[in-house]
Amino acid sequence: MTSENSDRDFVDRALRRLPPPASSSRFEAALMAGYDAWNGEREKGAWAAFKAGLRGFSEVIWPGAPVWVPASALAVALLVGAGIGAALPAAGTVEQSGFSLEQPESFTLFASDVTPEEDL
Amino acid sequence: MHDPDADDVAKAGQGDRAAAARLIGRHAPKLLTVARRMLGAQAEAEDAVQEVFLKLWTHAARWQPGKAKFETWLYRVMLNQCYDRLRRRPTAPLEAADDVADGAALPDTGLDEGKLGEEIARALEGLPERQKAAILLCHFRELGNVEAAEIMGISVEALESLLSRGRRSLRSKLEHLKGFAGDR
Repeated sequence: MTSENSDRDFVDRALRRLPPPASSSRFEAALMAGYDAWNGEREKGAWAAFKAGLRGFSEVIWPGAPVWVPASALAVALLVGAGIGAALPAAGTVEQSGFSLEQPESFTLFASDVTPEEDL
Repeated sequence: MHDPDADDVAKAGQGDRAAAARLIGRHAPKLLTVARRMLGAQAEAEDAVQEVFLKLWTHAARWQPGKAKFETWLYRVMLNQCYDRLRRRPTAPLEAADDVADGAALPDTGLDEGKLGEEIARALEGLPERQKAAILLCHFRELGNVEAAEIMGISVEALESLLSRGRRSLRSKLEHLKGFAGDR
Protein backbone atom coordinates (compact mmCIF):
# COMPACT_ATOMS: atom_id res chain seq x y z
CA MET A 1 0.00 0.00 0.00
CA THR A 2 1.43 3.40 -0.98
CA SER A 3 1.98 6.04 1.65
CA GLU A 4 -0.82 8.13 0.14
CA ASN A 5 -3.33 5.28 0.31
CA SER A 6 -2.20 4.48 3.81
CA ASP A 7 -2.73 8.13 4.86
CA ARG A 8 -6.18 8.11 3.28
CA ASP A 9 -7.22 4.94 5.09
CA PHE A 10 -5.87 6.22 8.37
CA VAL A 11 -7.74 9.53 8.06
CA ASP A 12 -10.96 7.84 6.91
CA ARG A 13 -10.86 5.55 9.94
CA ALA A 14 -10.15 8.47 12.24
CA LEU A 15 -12.98 10.61 10.81
CA ARG A 16 -15.42 7.76 11.21
CA ARG A 17 -14.79 8.02 14.94
CA LEU A 18 -16.13 11.56 15.02
CA PRO A 19 -19.56 11.75 16.57
CA PRO A 20 -22.12 13.02 14.02
CA PRO A 21 -23.39 16.51 14.83
CA ALA A 22 -26.95 16.49 16.01
CA SER A 23 -29.31 17.79 13.32
CA SER A 24 -32.31 18.30 15.51
CA SER A 25 -35.90 18.77 14.48
CA ARG A 26 -35.61 22.12 16.28
CA PHE A 27 -32.91 23.15 13.83
CA GLU A 28 -34.96 22.07 10.82
CA ALA A 29 -37.94 23.96 12.26
CA ALA A 30 -35.72 27.06 12.50
CA LEU A 31 -34.80 26.63 8.84
CA MET A 32 -38.49 26.37 7.92
CA ALA A 33 -39.19 29.48 9.97
CA GLY A 34 -36.50 31.22 7.93
CA TYR A 35 -38.25 30.10 4.77
CA ASP A 36 -41.65 31.31 6.04
CA ALA A 37 -40.19 34.71 6.94
CA TRP A 38 -38.61 35.03 3.49
CA ASN A 39 -41.83 33.92 1.80
CA GLY A 40 -43.86 36.43 3.82
CA GLU A 41 -41.52 39.22 2.73
CA ARG A 42 -41.70 38.01 -0.86
CA GLU A 43 -45.51 38.08 -0.85
CA LYS A 44 -45.54 41.49 0.79
CA GLY A 45 -43.05 42.61 -1.81
CA ALA A 46 -45.24 41.35 -4.64
CA TRP A 47 -48.32 43.11 -3.20
CA ALA A 48 -46.35 46.32 -2.67
CA ALA A 49 -45.08 46.16 -6.26
CA PHE A 50 -48.65 45.64 -7.52
CA LYS A 51 -49.92 48.62 -5.50
CA ALA A 52 -47.06 50.82 -6.70
CA GLY A 53 -47.79 49.83 -10.30
CA LEU A 54 -51.47 50.62 -9.85
CA ARG A 55 -50.68 54.00 -8.30
CA GLY A 56 -48.30 54.84 -11.14
CA PHE A 57 -50.94 53.91 -13.70
CA SER A 58 -53.60 56.00 -11.93
CA GLU A 59 -51.20 58.98 -11.85
CA VAL A 60 -50.91 58.71 -15.63
CA ILE A 61 -54.64 58.57 -16.34
CA TRP A 62 -55.89 60.83 -13.50
CA PRO A 63 -53.03 62.79 -11.91
CA GLY A 64 -53.49 63.79 -8.31
CA ALA A 65 -56.56 61.63 -7.69
CA PRO A 66 -56.58 58.79 -5.20
CA VAL A 67 -56.51 55.31 -6.74
CA TRP A 68 -60.21 54.65 -6.10
CA VAL A 69 -61.31 57.53 -8.40
CA PRO A 70 -59.92 56.14 -11.70
CA ALA A 71 -60.77 52.63 -10.50
CA SER A 72 -64.41 53.69 -9.97
CA ALA A 73 -64.48 55.52 -13.31
CA LEU A 74 -63.20 52.39 -15.01
CA ALA A 75 -65.80 50.25 -13.24
CA VAL A 76 -68.63 52.62 -14.23
CA ALA A 77 -67.39 52.66 -17.83
CA LEU A 78 -67.33 48.87 -17.86
CA LEU A 79 -70.88 48.71 -16.49
CA VAL A 80 -72.17 51.23 -19.02
CA GLY A 81 -70.44 49.34 -21.84
CA ALA A 82 -71.89 46.03 -20.66
CA GLY A 83 -75.37 47.60 -20.37
CA ILE A 84 -75.25 49.04 -23.85
CA GLY A 85 -73.99 45.75 -25.21
CA ALA A 86 -76.87 43.90 -23.57
CA ALA A 87 -79.49 46.41 -24.76
CA LEU A 88 -78.50 46.39 -28.43
CA PRO A 89 -80.11 43.75 -30.63
CA ALA A 90 -77.93 40.79 -31.49
CA ALA A 91 -76.11 40.86 -34.85
CA GLY A 92 -78.21 37.97 -36.30
CA THR A 93 -81.45 39.88 -35.90
CA VAL A 94 -80.44 42.87 -38.01
CA GLU A 95 -82.50 43.02 -41.18
CA GLN A 96 -80.44 41.98 -44.18
CA SER A 97 -80.39 44.37 -47.12
CA GLY A 98 -80.44 43.19 -50.72
CA PHE A 99 -77.02 44.53 -51.26
CA SER A 100 -74.19 42.07 -51.24
CA LEU A 101 -70.51 42.64 -51.49
CA GLU A 102 -70.11 39.30 -53.16
CA GLN A 103 -69.11 39.71 -56.79
CA PRO A 104 -71.29 38.17 -59.45
CA GLU A 105 -69.64 35.22 -61.16
CA SER A 106 -69.47 37.02 -64.52
CA PHE A 107 -67.92 40.16 -63.18
CA THR A 108 -64.43 41.08 -64.35
CA LEU A 109 -62.59 44.31 -64.35
CA PHE A 110 -61.61 43.84 -67.99
CA ALA A 111 -65.06 43.09 -69.22
CA SER A 112 -66.33 46.24 -70.81
CA ASP A 113 -69.62 46.84 -72.50
CA VAL A 114 -68.13 49.52 -74.72
CA THR A 115 -66.82 48.49 -78.11
CA PRO A 116 -63.27 49.36 -79.19
CA GLU A 117 -64.68 51.87 -81.67
CA GLU A 118 -66.55 53.67 -78.97
CA ASP A 119 -63.43 53.66 -76.90
CA LEU A 120 -61.56 55.47 -79.60
CA MET B 1 -27.83 16.06 -16.94
CA HIS B 2 -30.91 15.80 -14.72
CA ASP B 3 -30.67 17.74 -11.49
CA PRO B 4 -32.86 16.01 -8.90
CA ASP B 5 -33.29 19.27 -6.96
CA ALA B 6 -34.17 21.57 -9.85
CA ASP B 7 -37.95 21.15 -9.55
CA ASP B 8 -38.01 21.70 -5.82
CA VAL B 9 -35.78 24.77 -6.09
CA ALA B 10 -38.11 26.35 -8.64
CA LYS B 11 -41.20 25.50 -6.58
CA ALA B 12 -39.67 26.79 -3.34
CA GLY B 13 -38.84 30.04 -5.12
CA GLN B 14 -42.54 30.44 -5.91
CA GLY B 15 -43.63 29.90 -2.32
CA ASP B 16 -44.16 26.12 -2.21
CA ARG B 17 -43.53 25.24 1.43
CA ALA B 18 -43.47 21.47 0.86
CA ALA B 19 -40.71 21.84 -1.73
CA ALA B 20 -38.70 23.95 0.71
CA ALA B 21 -39.17 21.28 3.41
CA ARG B 22 -37.91 18.60 1.02
CA LEU B 23 -34.80 20.63 0.21
CA ILE B 24 -34.12 21.20 3.89
CA GLY B 25 -34.63 17.52 4.72
CA ARG B 26 -32.34 16.42 1.91
CA HIS B 27 -29.47 18.85 2.41
CA ALA B 28 -29.48 20.43 5.87
CA PRO B 29 -28.05 17.45 7.84
CA LYS B 30 -25.11 16.97 5.44
CA LEU B 31 -24.43 20.70 5.23
CA LEU B 32 -24.49 20.88 9.00
CA THR B 33 -22.01 17.99 9.29
CA VAL B 34 -19.49 19.68 7.01
CA ALA B 35 -20.05 23.14 8.54
CA ARG B 36 -19.67 21.73 12.06
CA ARG B 37 -16.33 20.18 11.16
CA MET B 38 -15.18 23.30 9.34
CA LEU B 39 -16.09 25.70 12.12
CA GLY B 40 -15.77 23.54 15.20
CA ALA B 41 -18.78 24.96 17.05
CA GLN B 42 -22.30 23.62 16.68
CA ALA B 43 -24.05 26.98 17.15
CA GLU B 44 -21.85 28.70 14.58
CA ALA B 45 -22.34 25.83 12.14
CA GLU B 46 -26.13 26.14 12.54
CA ASP B 47 -25.91 29.89 11.89
CA ALA B 48 -23.83 29.26 8.77
CA VAL B 49 -26.31 26.70 7.43
CA GLN B 50 -29.20 29.09 8.12
CA GLU B 51 -27.38 31.76 6.11
CA VAL B 52 -26.88 29.28 3.28
CA PHE B 53 -30.59 28.48 3.16
CA LEU B 54 -31.54 32.17 3.25
CA LYS B 55 -29.27 32.70 0.26
CA LEU B 56 -30.91 29.70 -1.38
CA TRP B 57 -34.44 31.10 -0.96
CA THR B 58 -33.48 34.49 -2.38
CA HIS B 59 -31.86 32.84 -5.42
CA ALA B 60 -34.41 30.07 -5.87
CA ALA B 61 -36.85 32.05 -8.03
CA ARG B 62 -34.03 32.98 -10.41
CA TRP B 63 -32.42 29.53 -10.42
CA GLN B 64 -31.54 28.38 -13.93
CA PRO B 65 -31.33 24.59 -14.13
CA GLY B 66 -28.59 23.32 -16.39
CA LYS B 67 -26.19 26.16 -15.62
CA ALA B 68 -24.70 24.40 -12.61
CA LYS B 69 -25.72 21.47 -10.46
CA PHE B 70 -27.73 22.77 -7.54
CA GLU B 71 -25.84 20.76 -4.93
CA THR B 72 -22.49 22.05 -6.23
CA TRP B 73 -23.74 25.61 -5.90
CA LEU B 74 -25.14 24.92 -2.41
CA TYR B 75 -21.87 23.51 -1.09
CA ARG B 76 -19.89 26.32 -2.65
CA VAL B 77 -22.07 28.87 -0.84
CA MET B 78 -21.65 26.89 2.39
CA LEU B 79 -17.86 26.75 2.05
CA ASN B 80 -17.71 30.49 1.40
CA GLN B 81 -19.81 31.07 4.51
CA CYS B 82 -17.37 28.97 6.53
CA TYR B 83 -14.30 30.71 5.07
CA ASP B 84 -15.80 34.13 5.89
CA ARG B 85 -16.53 33.10 9.45
CA LEU B 86 -13.08 31.58 9.94
CA ARG B 87 -11.43 34.75 8.62
CA ARG B 88 -13.49 36.99 10.88
CA ARG B 89 -12.28 35.13 13.95
CA PRO B 90 -9.59 36.77 16.02
CA THR B 91 -6.24 35.03 15.51
CA ALA B 92 -5.60 32.50 18.26
CA PRO B 93 -2.51 32.99 20.41
CA LEU B 94 0.42 30.83 19.33
CA GLU B 95 0.48 28.82 22.56
CA ALA B 96 -3.10 27.72 22.00
CA ALA B 97 -2.34 26.68 18.42
CA ASP B 98 0.60 24.61 19.61
CA ASP B 99 -1.65 22.68 21.96
CA VAL B 100 -3.61 21.35 19.04
CA ALA B 101 -0.68 20.58 16.81
CA ASP B 102 1.55 18.92 19.36
CA GLY B 103 0.34 15.36 19.51
CA ALA B 104 3.25 14.18 21.63
CA ALA B 105 1.91 16.12 24.60
CA LEU B 106 -1.38 14.20 24.53
CA PRO B 107 -1.88 10.94 26.37
CA ASP B 108 -1.75 7.99 23.99
CA THR B 109 -3.72 5.55 26.08
CA GLY B 110 -6.84 5.56 28.15
CA LEU B 111 -8.93 7.76 25.84
CA ASP B 112 -12.59 6.87 25.80
CA GLU B 113 -14.62 7.26 22.60
CA GLY B 114 -15.73 10.79 23.50
CA LYS B 115 -12.22 12.02 24.20
CA LEU B 116 -10.95 10.33 21.08
CA GLY B 117 -13.55 12.15 19.01
CA GLU B 118 -12.51 15.43 20.61
CA GLU B 119 -8.85 14.78 19.80
CA ILE B 120 -9.65 13.99 16.18
CA ALA B 121 -11.94 17.03 15.88
CA ARG B 122 -9.27 19.32 17.32
CA ALA B 123 -6.63 17.96 14.96
CA LEU B 124 -9.01 18.51 12.05
CA GLU B 125 -9.75 22.06 13.16
CA GLY B 126 -6.04 22.80 13.20
CA LEU B 127 -5.68 22.10 9.48
CA PRO B 128 -5.51 24.99 6.97
CA GLU B 129 -9.05 25.77 5.82
CA ARG B 130 -8.71 24.56 2.23
CA GLN B 131 -7.11 21.25 3.22
CA LYS B 132 -9.87 20.80 5.76
CA ALA B 133 -12.57 21.58 3.20
CA ALA B 134 -11.10 19.11 0.70
CA ILE B 135 -10.98 16.31 3.26
CA LEU B 136 -14.48 17.01 4.56
CA LEU B 137 -16.09 17.16 1.12
CA CYS B 138 -14.47 13.91 0.06
CA HIS B 139 -15.08 12.09 3.34
CA PHE B 140 -18.45 13.27 4.61
CA ARG B 141 -20.09 14.00 1.29
CA GLU B 142 -18.40 11.04 -0.34
CA LEU B 143 -17.89 13.22 -3.39
CA GLY B 144 -15.61 12.28 -6.23
CA ASN B 145 -12.55 14.44 -6.78
CA VAL B 146 -14.08 16.10 -9.84
CA GLU B 147 -17.19 17.29 -7.99
CA ALA B 148 -15.26 18.35 -4.90
CA ALA B 149 -12.83 20.32 -7.08
CA GLU B 150 -15.78 21.99 -8.81
CA ILE B 151 -17.26 23.01 -5.47
CA MET B 152 -13.95 24.47 -4.34
CA GLY B 153 -13.37 26.17 -7.68
CA ILE B 154 -9.99 24.52 -8.22
CA SER B 155 -8.50 21.93 -10.58
CA VAL B 156 -8.62 18.22 -9.76
CA GLU B 157 -4.81 18.20 -9.46
CA ALA B 158 -4.93 21.05 -6.94
CA LEU B 159 -7.60 19.19 -4.96
CA GLU B 160 -5.52 16.02 -4.92
CA SER B 161 -2.56 18.00 -3.67
CA LEU B 162 -4.68 19.54 -0.88
CA LEU B 163 -6.03 16.11 0.06
CA SER B 164 -2.59 14.58 0.12
CA ARG B 165 -1.07 17.32 2.30
CA GLY B 166 -4.10 17.46 4.56
CA ARG B 167 -4.18 13.72 5.17
CA ARG B 168 -0.44 13.57 5.84
CA SER B 169 -0.70 16.46 8.28
CA LEU B 170 -3.73 14.99 10.03
CA ARG B 171 -2.07 11.62 10.31
CA SER B 172 1.05 13.12 11.85
CA LYS B 173 -1.14 14.87 14.43
CA LEU B 174 -3.05 11.70 15.24
CA GLU B 175 -0.22 9.19 14.96
CA HIS B 176 -0.10 8.77 18.72
CA LEU B 177 -3.73 7.56 18.57
CA LYS B 178 -2.88 4.94 15.99
CA GLY B 179 -4.12 2.14 18.18
CA PHE B 180 -7.61 3.72 18.21
CA ALA B 181 -7.78 5.01 14.68
CA GLY B 182 -6.39 1.81 13.22
CA ASP B 183 -8.75 -0.58 14.99
CA ARG B 184 -12.32 -1.07 13.87
